[in-house]
Amino acid sequence: MEHQDLIAVWLTFKLAFATTVVLLVLGTPLAWWLARTRHPVKVFVEPLVALPIILPPTVIGFYLLIAFAPNGIIGSWWITLTGSPLAFTFNALVIGSVIYSLPFYVQPLQVAFENVQQSILDAAATLGATPADRFFSLVIPLCRRGFITASCLAFAHTVGEFGIVLMIGGNIAGETRVLSIALFDHVESMQYQRAHILAAGLLGFSFLLLLAVYTLNRRWQFGTTVNADRS
Amino acid sequence: MQIEADIYLERPNGFSIEASLKITDGGVTALYGPSGSGKSTILRLIAGLERGGNNDRIKIKAGDDVWHDEERFVPVHRRGIGFVFQQHQLFPHLTVRGNLDYAIKRRHTDNGIDIAQISDWLALDSLMSKPIQQLSGGEAQRASIARVLLSGARCILMDEPLGSIDQMARARILPYLDRLHRNLQLPFVYVSHSLEEINYLADQLYLLDEGRIKASGSMFELGSSLELNLGSGEDAAAVIECVLAGHETDYNLTQLEFEGTRLFVTTRHQKPGSVLRVRIPARDVSIVLSPPERTSILNVIRTTVEEIETPSDNPGVLVRLAIGRQHILARITRKSLDKLGLKKGQSVYAQIKSIALLSDYED
Repeated sequence: MEHQDLIAVWLTFKLAFATTVVLLVLGTPLAWWLARTRHPVKVFVEPLVALPIILPPTVIGFYLLIAFAPNGIIGSWWITLTGSPLAFTFNALVIGSVIYSLPFYVQPLQVAFENVQQSILDAAATLGATPADRFFSLVIPLCRRGFITASCLAFAHTVGEFGIVLMIGGNIAGETRVLSIALFDHVESMQYQRAHILAAGLLGFSFLLLLAVYTLNRRWQFGTTVNADRS
Repeated sequence: MQIEADIYLERPNGFSIEASLKITDGGVTALYGPSGSGKSTILRLIAGLERGGNNDRIKIKAGDDVWHDEERFVPVHRRGIGFVFQQHQLFPHLTVRGNLDYAIKRRHTDNGIDIAQISDWLALDSLMSKPIQQLSGGEAQRASIARVLLSGARCILMDEPLGSIDQMARARILPYLDRLHRNLQLPFVYVSHSLEEINYLADQLYLLDEGRIKASGSMFELGSSLELNLGSGEDAAAVIECVLAGHETDYNLTQLEFEGTRLFVTTRHQKPGSVLRVRIPARDVSIVLSPPERTSILNVIRTTVEEIETPSDNPGVLVRLAIGRQHILARITRKSLDKLGLKKGQSVYAQIKSIALLSDYED
């Protein structure tokens, strides 16, 4: 693999990693809230989270591009905060990827959270566990499959991202030229040999990651708990 | 710790609860009633697992602490209660030991109960390292009771704790529960729709129906009340508390004493001095006016007719007989009632053919 391509691979994994970490911090509370709330606003938040699944990435990319522009909502705020523009930077890619991969992280985790019986949390509360204690001592270990699945999907999905990067990142080597963009370049310039290496590598990686997720899921089955009937 | 609860609650579906309860230290207070009578909801309100709607008026006090009123709501984890659920609710990612440690690490107060003692009381030694998935229903419920006791709770609330396990396991757990409340000076609140469990465990009883308290008082009193007729119809029975007086090993019999009289039952293994509850079915008690001289029935005791059920179209009537401060029930035919000319206050003899059940749990 040529040096330029290695940089693209490295950049892609850096982006996927950063995105997953941000999602872990921001997506987890969102998934928990969605799993537990009865607030009417949930009806609007759920489809909003799911939008990136069906929306063409270019649509999201287009709006983000406008928002990230130096005079855009986020872009201008970013300049006052950091002193440098946001568009066409690695940070812009992270923000875009977080939005783009949000449903792939939040949805499996939300399902996992919903499967934690309220009664088991109630039992912990009667034993003196505070809400935070309950989350760390019960919810996280009981939902570790959900966390792994969510993180892997978000990671893999970010690795395969194309449309948004193209819109808000452009094609700057070492900064925004990720794997899928590099692949596209090679095809454009008829360098099929290099395109093959990247494409096959991405294919193999994605398959292995999913294989790992499914294997782990099968091994970590807990017995299900049944909710008590109340009289 | 004494718990007082004043509850007025209305559900959107029209169901409502209006009840005042006082739960005192020591002994078991039972909430008894059919499904949907509101007993579980009352218990969950006391625990803080439910808080009612905006228009509900709920006041819960524990000693001098207000747990719940218009201004205040103390969350569950700060109430220092123990709650045994119908399903065991053990944490599936931990072993039995891990579940117990979870409670010890967060214990409300140090009640001096240690894991060795609990494990002995509830026979958990061999289960400690087992994953939850490998426990039987009865074992899991025993472990969950142990977990509650180790949490250092100041009062223990049980919501149909034997409701989801089979009859055999239930019969084995009941004596454990009985032993617990005798060993611990804590208020116990026990919700159940099983008269058998209530008879076995309860001291005080709240009888609930459609969200209202129909009657409250001593279990022995209410249990033998003709008006309430708890063990309705053919199943009517009274529960009495006896002390084991001694064994007659030659005949495989045990002597029980209550209110100055003796009863013979088949051998019990408990030591003399143990307190036992026995259940005497009304259909196994007959009445004679003078002591029979030659009879195969061992248990003939002197009693006073306290109350006679108002005769109906049924062939039988229930008669409530007093022995000291305790009561038994007899079911006789209306014809016998007329023939004997039984009256309130009359002194008669009760022949008891069978004494059963409650102490039979201990094997």
